Amino acid sequence: MSLATEAHRWERWAWVLATLPAVAVLGVAFGLPLLQSLVASFVREGRVTLENYAIVARLYGRDVLYTLGVAGAGVTLTFGAGIHLAGYLRLRAWPWVEFLLKVPLFVPFVVTGHAMRVFLQPSGTLALALSAVGLVPSGARLGIGEGWLGLVLALTWKHLALVVLLLVGAFRGVDDSYLEAAQGFGAGILRQIWAVLVPMSATSLALATVLTLTSMLASFSIPLLMSRGSGPQMLMVDLYYRFGQHGDFGVASALGVVSYVMASGAVYAYLRSVAR
Amino acid sequence: MSVAGRSLLAVTLRAALGTLVLVVILGPLLSLVVWSLAERWHWPAPFPQQLGLKYWLRMLQGDPLRALTRGVTIATITTVLALVAALPVSYLAARRRLPAGAAVLTLFVLPQAFPQLPVFASATVLFYRWNLAGTVPGVVLIHLVGGLVYAVWTLTAAFRAVGPELEEAALNLGASATRTFFRIALPLALPGVAASAILVFLHSLDEFNGTLLVGAPYVTTLPVYMYTASLGYELQIASVTALILMAPGVVLLLLLERFLRAEYLAFFGHL
Repeated sequence: MSLATEAHRWERWAWVLATLPAVAVLGVAFGLPLLQSLVASFVREGRVTLENYAIVARLYGRDVLYTLGVAGAGVTLTFGAGIHLAGYLRLRAWPWVEFLLKVPLFVPFVVTGHAMRVFLQPSGTLALALSAVGLVPSGARLGIGEGWLGLVLALTWKHLALVVLLLVGAFRGVDDSYLEAAQGFGAGILRQIWAVLVPMSATSLALATVLTLTSMLASFSIPLLMSRGSGPQMLMVDLYYRFGQHGDFGVASALGVVSYVMASGAVYAYLRSVAR
Repeated sequence: MSVAGRSLLAVTLRAALGTLVLVVILGPLLSLVVWSLAERWHWPAPFPQQLGLKYWLRMLQGDPLRALTRGVTIATITTVLALVAALPVSYLAARRRLPAGAAVLTLFVLPQAFPQLPVFASATVLFYRWNLAGTVPGVVLIHLVGGLVYAVWTLTAAFRAVGPELEEAALNLGASATRTFFRIALPLALPGVAASAILVFLHSLDEFNGTLLVGAPYVTTLPVYMYTASLGYELQIASVTALILMAPGVVLLLLLERFLRAEYLAFFGHL
């Protein structure tokens, strides 16, 4: 009996040891770099200082606002479209549209960036297609691709898939009897969406909003591929150039810490979802 | 409005909505297809002057082929390592036998919640110190961050779905915990393990942010190759590469749509 217990104890320890490689990899390739960037943001030329943040405020203050603005507009557009599409799909089955809306889930961010660059740039395929059907004169240049609007459209295109997926799931969790009651009072589709489905899925909706906002604030490859190199930039593009071209890890880290603060809502939401 | 008028309006609106979704979703993707086939396309002609497979054939040699094989190699190594490392964590977590379980699981969500780029830039500084920057092991290590997160979460869900009853029966009959895992839990969870492997593989194949920073300048995978081509206005080459990158995912969606549960699908949104 005691032999068996001894073997049991060894086995349990072996199992715990087997979890260590995964924890160690995340510690080395994520935890340690995260801590290092926090520390490096307060160090410049070997001294502890706030100078990196002063530089961020001076050079990148406008870009912080631009990033918040683009992400805010992207979230508004994504959920404006997503709530109505998901609500409609909950109330009226429409399999091929539901399938189509899932496609961007499988299109990587960096591919989305290139596709939108080709599609939306002033002489891009959208401008050419519109001129082919006679909506704009031949050779017309569209201005939407280069500025904030093109970026908002590209971010929305990529994020809409996940939002619709999450919302359709949440809306399907709402019992039919509530919707039938609303219909009994003469509620149309819009009314059923906003008066029944949305309030009854508030938790899922809030979680999806926070995740989408963070993802858009921290987006890198889409703005990197779509930016024209002048005018305001998304924060992650600034960070990349500050780090890669100027070799300025201090200011890059301070930009990173600013993005951590902007993402803190998502960190909180994720931690709560683990706690549950 | 009459009933007939109302239903006519509803049908029209539905058709308009369907067309809008079709154009918005497929428009950018179709433009990639056209560019990948455009051997000659002078602006402002609405269609290419000459179509052909020249640029697709160019993918079969030289730099793009090297980027493809290198990416597949890295993705294969990443997938094997991530699954082997994640299996014990997920199994113990699913059976609530993981010491400091909540803290460990938190570690496996944080990379999902934090902006990646500043962390990866910082990792690049560390990797330079350790001679890992610009090497395949360095890129695998950075791919493992996302890979482990996906693997741990999908595998934990897979083991939870199996349920502990059969394992308890095996343990009561005198099988060791390890034997129970290999003979009962792992075979039952195999579909989940396969889904997890596909997810980790696609994550690694498509990973851009970490590869760009850590891999530069010696390790070029397809996403980095596509980025360089796109910025250099080699739009045909970049479009061919883009289509190759999204092909596995779209094929997967077509084949497995009805088998992939929503919670797995949601993971793909982060690729």
